[in-house]
Amino acid sequence: MSVFIVETDKAGLQKFYEEIIGKFETYAPVEKFDKYDYKKVSNLSECNPDSPIETTMSLKPLFFPKTAKIMKFQEDSSGTTLSETDEDPLAGSRVILGVKHCDARGLQVLDQVYNWDYIDTDYQKRRINTVIVSTRCDKAGNQCFCTSLDYDVENSDAHDVRIVNGLDGKIYIQGVTEKGEKLIKSSSIQQPASDGAKDELSKHYKAFDASFRLKMNYTEVNAKLQKLFDSPEFETVSSNCISCNTCAFICPTCHCFKISDEKIKDTGVRYKSYDSCNNGYFTLMAGGHNPRPVKYRRWRQRSLHKFVYYKERFGMNLCVGCGHCAISCPVNISIFDVVNQVSKIMQ
Amino acid sequence: MCKVDKIIDETPDVRTYRLIMNDPARMETFKWMPGQFVEFSLLGHGECTFCISSSSTRPGYFDCSIKRAGVVTADIHSQLEEGMDVGIRGPYGNWFPTEEIKGKNLLFVGGGIGLAPLRSLIQYCIDNRKDYKDFTILYGARTSADMCYKEEIEEWKKNPSLKVILTIDKPEETWKENVGVVPKILEEVVKPAVENTKVITCGPPIMIKYTLVSLDKLGFAPKDVITTLEMKMQCGLGKCGRCNIGSTYVCKDGPVFTYEQLKSLPDEF
Repeated sequence: MSVFIVETDKAGLQKFYEEIIGKFETYAPVEKFDKYDYKKVSNLSECNPDSPIETTMSLKPLFFPKTAKIMKFQEDSSGTTLSETDEDPLAGSRVILGVKHCDARGLQVLDQVYNWDYIDTDYQKRRINTVIVSTRCDKAGNQCFCTSLDYDVENSDAHDVRIVNGLDGKIYIQGVTEKGEKLIKSSSIQQPASDGAKDELSKHYKAFDASFRLKMNYTEVNAKLQKLFDSPEFETVSSNCISCNTCAFICPTCHCFKISDEKIKDTGVRYKSYDSCNNGYFTLMAGGHNPRPVKYRRWRQRSLHKFVYYKERFGMNLCVGCGHCAISCPVNISIFDVVNQVSKIMQ
Repeated sequence: MCKVDKIIDETPDVRTYRLIMNDPARMETFKWMPGQFVEFSLLGHGECTFCISSSSTRPGYFDCSIKRAGVVTADIHSQLEEGMDVGIRGPYGNWFPTEEIKGKNLLFVGGGIGLAPLRSLIQYCIDNRKDYKDFTILYGARTSADMCYKEEIEEWKKNPSLKVILTIDKPEETWKENVGVVPKILEEVVKPAVENTKVITCGPPIMIKYTLVSLDKLGFAPKDVITTLEMKMQCGLGKCGRCNIGSTYVCKDGPVFTYEQLKSLPDEF
């Protein structure tokens, strides 16, 4: 991990942002009706990279689009011809500003499933061509619990550049990866940080860590859930769910998708779009057999996939503790409460 | 892309589609093992997962046997004709342990369309007959009309090195073979010797469930019972997230499992 750090002040940071927006294709949180989402911006006044409010949607759609055309086909008298779609999976490089810890961590989690065995090249291209700049995590939000999920905030390399508001009033810009270091070096902010900078960063992260309302003993929850497959508690925790799938669509790590065809006359397109294990038809097979026909079984799959299976398979937890799902759920279900409540019944 | 070379009506609701790749060079190099599956697209209608029901020891083509069960399979049956194109991705998944079962007695237990994946292995073993010892096929269907691969079964019956036992659920006037469900016939008629025998089974879930009980009663160890699972799949690449049982992806780690492996998975069935 790189320890390249420069220090600046508020005006310097604004300048840093402006330079990036001027030079690269840039995405940043943009406000609309008091809610924020990552949008393409051409001017710093359009966006607010330092807003403490989390975005409604995670960073995921910028790497794994809600709906993507993956193939075209054309039929004529000689047969069927397949062709690539004209959608360019991100040719140039881009920068994303104002990313929170959880969102960046979510991409690291997605990397595991997209890069094992068969590699999703579109996703990978987008990943390689993107520089992620984080800010905004000075204080934990109401539904945040990222530090509980074996995530080392201070030594994380999930972002390329981290911007930290030091408790001493200075702003530190830290290049964490090679990509990030290069981005800082290409800017006009070049004041090297003083010797005490590392300690200042540590202090900042300690204060951040102490600001969490939600705390979970992850090791314990993980161990207990492994033994609670048959727990009747899954029925209780899922009873309010209306299966709207909002949680999965906005989740930074949910990656299930479906493949569907659309055909008009002789031409057609194959799409890949978001799907969710909370959807009752998700595992329904032709002929009527469905291994998860009822809600509690789907919630069991969702909880265990997030807190047990993925960890077992890929070594990471499939929940980054961002709280997006709890904030957007129309019936106030929070994955934090679900896994806590289920594991609580075991002493 | 592949062309449908031939469509064979197996039963009132099962058809076998014989496929040949449009590119002869690719057909030449297309190799698969018994038990593997492909993603089969009727473009514009959708993509489905089917096992390959023939063996690559019989090169130049491959078969998919398709039962009319859902939306896409109904479209395949009603709209796909000989000479038309279908999209094929694959082969995916693991396969029957063809090496491990060498030198063993083989007992195949199939029901209905469940004979499709077994047929690939049966053809493979017939074509490498000297590698395997006693060879028994127990196949059941609801009625005699519901039996797949009728002509091929007749050939198997004529083959002196195979023992073929057929059964249907209810008596029929012209039916001269066994009557009764597969597990019953397994216990009362086949009475297989346990020693040095591997059982390969596939069929509807209810048949598998009771066949496993019967095999247990007969004294078969779970590690000697091999089956292949059906799960909703879409990508076949371990990404789309619907075929998992616990941390196991059926499309990558399966579809072929021993009963011993199945027992260690969460009980989602």
